[in-house]
Amino acid sequence: MKFVALVLKSARRSKRRTALTVLSVAIAVFLFSALRAVLDGFNGAAAASSATRIMTIRSTSMIFNMPVSHGETIRSMPGVRDVTWANWFGGIYKDPKNFFANIAVDPESYLRMYPEIDVPPDERRAFLEDRTGCIVGDGLARRFGWTVGDRIVLQPGIPYYGRQDYPFTIRGIYRTRGHAVDNQTMFFHWKYVDERSLVKGQVGWYVTLIANPDQAAQMARTIDQKFTNTPYETKTDTEGAFLAQFTAMFGNLNLLLGSIAAAVVITTLFVAGNTMAMSVRERTTEIAVMRTLGFQRRTIFGIVAGEGLLMAVAGGLLGVAIAKVLVNGENINTGGFVPPFGVSGANMAVGVVLSAFIGIAAGVIPATMASRLKIVDALRRVA
Amino acid sequence: MLIELRNVSKSYRRDTIEIPVLDGVTIDVPEGDFLGLMGPSGSGKSTLLNLLAGIDRPSQGSIRIGDTEISRLSDSALASWRSRHIGFIFQLYNLIPVLTAFENVELPLLLTSLSKKQRRDHVMTALGIVALGDRAAHYPRQLSGGQEQRVAIARAIVTDPTLLLADEPTGDLDAKSGADILTLLQRLNQEFKKTIVMVTHDPHAAERARRLLHLEKGTLVEQVPS
Repeated sequence: MKFVALVLKSARRSKRRTALTVLSVAIAVFLFSALRAVLDGFNGAAAASSATRIMTIRSTSMIFNMPVSHGETIRSMPGVRDVTWANWFGGIYKDPKNFFANIAVDPESYLRMYPEIDVPPDERRAFLEDRTGCIVGDGLARRFGWTVGDRIVLQPGIPYYGRQDYPFTIRGIYRTRGHAVDNQTMFFHWKYVDERSLVKGQVGWYVTLIANPDQAAQMARTIDQKFTNTPYETKTDTEGAFLAQFTAMFGNLNLLLGSIAAAVVITTLFVAGNTMAMSVRERTTEIAVMRTLGFQRRTIFGIVAGEGLLMAVAGGLLGVAIAKVLVNGENINTGGFVPPFGVSGANMAVGVVLSAFIGIAAGVIPATMASRLKIVDALRRVA
Repeated sequence: MLIELRNVSKSYRRDTIEIPVLDGVTIDVPEGDFLGLMGPSGSGKSTLLNLLAGIDRPSQGSIRIGDTEISRLSDSALASWRSRHIGFIFQLYNLIPVLTAFENVELPLLLTSLSKKQRRDHVMTALGIVALGDRAAHYPRQLSGGQEQRVAIARAIVTDPTLLLADEPTGDLDAKSGADILTLLQRLNQEFKKTIVMVTHDPHAAERARRLLHLEKGTLVEQVPS
């Protein structure tokens, strides 16, 4: 503890350099925490996915539709408790830059099967009763300043929905319970869209509630077998697997984001290490004097390494604090493609540990240099 | 005898060339002595001082200070020994610029088991001896060269070391400040019975020593009673 003051004083030697080093670590940790938060969002969504909900899409790709009659066929299968369906509408609100997920659903069954969508009862009723009504997530409502009763217009983004505008009335604002649903999405009546679209009776995906989660794989096979050798073959999977496939559309996110984070951290490691090495070189005489006074090599090592650790952890704390404030799914428009995310306590802890790692790794070589300094050579170099 | 150097040689290797600096030097220094080491540049006097300080090792010979044969100590034991027995005064003061005068003087005491209060008392006593008690909170840049050297002397004496070693302590000072430093060293020798070995070029500084040794090309050429 006696040497802590010495470490603090040393770190304040060149305030600008220390500040820049702290900032570089802060930026690295901020980026790491932000990327990790996005990954956590996906992982959280997969973890929060229901074991009793399985999803069916076209076997060729989820961008192709299926007939609405598939729903009744699925519903008639043993072990199926409920079925709902949805379509990606891809509507544009005023400007393509205002992108957000807007999905046509069978409202009653959809809300029944997704209790995570929490709508006040009166708003829910109003939504179900209004064919042109919609509900929006509270994050989306905040983003555009919408309130219940507002009228909004979407231009269809997919050709077979026609060219006419689709006016909607906001009948409810939902909150989310858990990570399976985000708060940046707009839901409206599938029938309203279907009656105006150029191709009728089309469904993007089905969601089936099954009685026994242990039979999810078997149920998925049964559903797909039912539509084998039809023009609309299907691919059914659990909700978690579906989310994983959806995520995979972005590529190997873990690898991509992990690589970016690693590159940033390693670069920062070199920057911090170089800065500390410069600092040690400038202090050659001081270190030699301290050794002359009787400071052991290990003490010198500890002081220099401690300085690196102090700066890096200060940067780490700053980085996670900034990430906590700025990186929040509600503040960032992800268009519903990224599940709700934010910087968790565990993420912050990992960020601080990472900064400590940067500090230790960056400090090892300069600290070793300092501790191995030959006193006489160091004194002679300056004198 | 406090210091017994026996047949000490030191040479440095530069690439493949062996450069002899000291050649078979034998010196005895009794306790309480004030020894001046003189000689031209490159004569080996600073090397001799470094060997006495335990910050360099002889190529040959033995160095005994008090009861300790320091040339046989491990690096770690030598560092520990230095912290207890050596006070070193550098030509360029070598104070740590980010530490106040108080903190600079306190630095060697951080290696002891003294409490914070005891350290404070020791530091203030040392600063009092060099008449800088009122400058304890000043940083080196806020002090004159003479004052900086006095702080460096306070740092050297604060642990009450067995031996004070001074390497050209007035070499970077004006005549007046230099004289003050020499007076202070003399006082430490006479009043506080400190054994001092001082390297100097300056004949005026050398006059303050009780005894003078001349080195030339690494060998002792004469021993002059002051």
